[in-house]
Amino acid sequence: MIRFEHVAKRYPGGVQALSDVNFELRRGEMAFLTGHSGAGKSTLLRLIAVLERPSRGQVLFDGKNVGRVSSRQIPRLRRKVGVIFQDHKLLTDRKVLDNVALPLLIAGYSWSEIRRRVRAALDLVGLLDKENTLIPALSGGQQQRVGIARAMIAKPPVLLADEPTGNLDPELSEELMRLFCTLNELGTTVLIATHDLDLVERLGRRTLVLKAGCMIDDRSGAGAGRRDGEAGP
Amino acid sequence: MSRMSERGGGDLRAWARRHGYSLLSSVGTLVRNPLTSALTIIVLAIALTLPLGLNTALVNLEAVHDNLDRLDSISVFLELDAGEDGARRVASQLSSWRNILAVDPVSPETGMRELAGATGLDRFEVGDVPLPWVLEVTPNSTVDIAELAERLRRAERVDMVVVDLDWVRRLDAILGVFSRLVILLAALFAASVLFVISNNIRTEIQRRREEIEILALVGATPGYIRRPFLYSGLWMGLGGALLAWLAVHAGLWMLKGPVEALAATYGASAELTAPSVQMLGLMLTGSGVLGILGAWVAVSRQLARINP
Repeated sequence: MIRFEHVAKRYPGGVQALSDVNFELRRGEMAFLTGHSGAGKSTLLRLIAVLERPSRGQVLFDGKNVGRVSSRQIPRLRRKVGVIFQDHKLLTDRKVLDNVALPLLIAGYSWSEIRRRVRAALDLVGLLDKENTLIPALSGGQQQRVGIARAMIAKPPVLLADEPTGNLDPELSEELMRLFCTLNELGTTVLIATHDLDLVERLGRRTLVLKAGCMIDDRSGAGAGRRDGEAGP
Repeated sequence: MSRMSERGGGDLRAWARRHGYSLLSSVGTLVRNPLTSALTIIVLAIALTLPLGLNTALVNLEAVHDNLDRLDSISVFLELDAGEDGARRVASQLSSWRNILAVDPVSPETGMRELAGATGLDRFEVGDVPLPWVLEVTPNSTVDIAELAERLRRAERVDMVVVDLDWVRRLDAILGVFSRLVILLAALFAASVLFVISNNIRTEIQRRREEIEILALVGATPGYIRRPFLYSGLWMGLGGALLAWLAVHAGLWMLKGPVEALAATYGASAELTAPSVQMLGLMLTGSGVLGILGAWVAVSRQLARINP
């Protein structure tokens, strides 16, 4: 589904965010992307959603080199990827309903269908009673969950999440990770950037580790849990 | 959850819904910022009122001009020795001509009084200038004045025929200048409408930069992002045109009394002509198109900056 071949990304000004990253995420797979802040996790996710273009190498999405797609094709590609942003990226002057509905409005769904799906999505993230609340009236964790509802509402084949549990208490984090697992079991390919290593360990999924722009580890699900367990304090 | 499931309708319906959402979104923006919207529309209306007002003035002056043409009279100076009897005889002769509506004989005494009045001189200062009888001939509205004057010149006991066509020609020329001026002003103010809307949409885009980015992030096409702004431009254009139209009507209503008073001094009645419904249609179309165009220019420039 997603394949990185010798991908490097250098930002103007000389910051080398990624250098020679190789990995593949198969359709229906779920993986965590960990590493210190500044290791290049966000850049890697941004390359998949074509929010950035690689300086070198290829990012293949469904066999297509996304570094080469024309700007005209970018919107179509982005609709296949639900992205949960660290800073939420919500419309702060709108209600929760309007924010979550955005991908469906763009796709031209009927309003009744949109209402139905928004309610279902908000129910999943536990915000059903906040449908008509303005974004600034929500806590950071609630805003994060609105972002999650928006990312998954159009049922994209791929979900990317950048620190989705950053603002949440442990219980809620666990609950949301379970939600990602459920979505994955239903067929969505999921890639989550996080530094919540405890949670990653407990879920025992494949884990990719970035360090200073290089992929230094790629642990398969079962092994990841065991190894971290041994190395633990 | 299943993959991209049914859209609940065909592509055309989805397209129509997207348009509907864009339209609602643009209206929402106007309603959320009532002051900004109102100010913009007022500025546009002022810019449009001037050419529309001038055009309305021109239309009314042309109507006055047509009326004056009809009221145009020819002064026929009779020979000095024609006397009252002669004058009355010639007058009754001329009034039987097909091309002549009325003949009004003016005695030398009346002529003297008018001359004294017109020059502001005392009657005795003017002195004992011999004045002839004059026939004020009102021609039929359809007649060729120059040809009629020529025939009058050849008539019995006629000394001189005076047709003051100069001022009519001058008025014609003035109206010509005026109508060209209206066209120039219309072009100028159309350009200002374009720039006002374009500038307004540009600041609007900067204000909503974050929103545009978010829309692009979740997969909105440039067309989808552009559309609400194009609608906003259209609303502003239409609003400006409508308000300008109302302003000109209000202006006409306020001028009605004074113009009637002015016309009364000429012994005429004046009916002010308001801009036609076709003109309203033309203004709405023109201003609406300019609004969309202005918005398009602004959005395209900004979108090019936002997209990677």
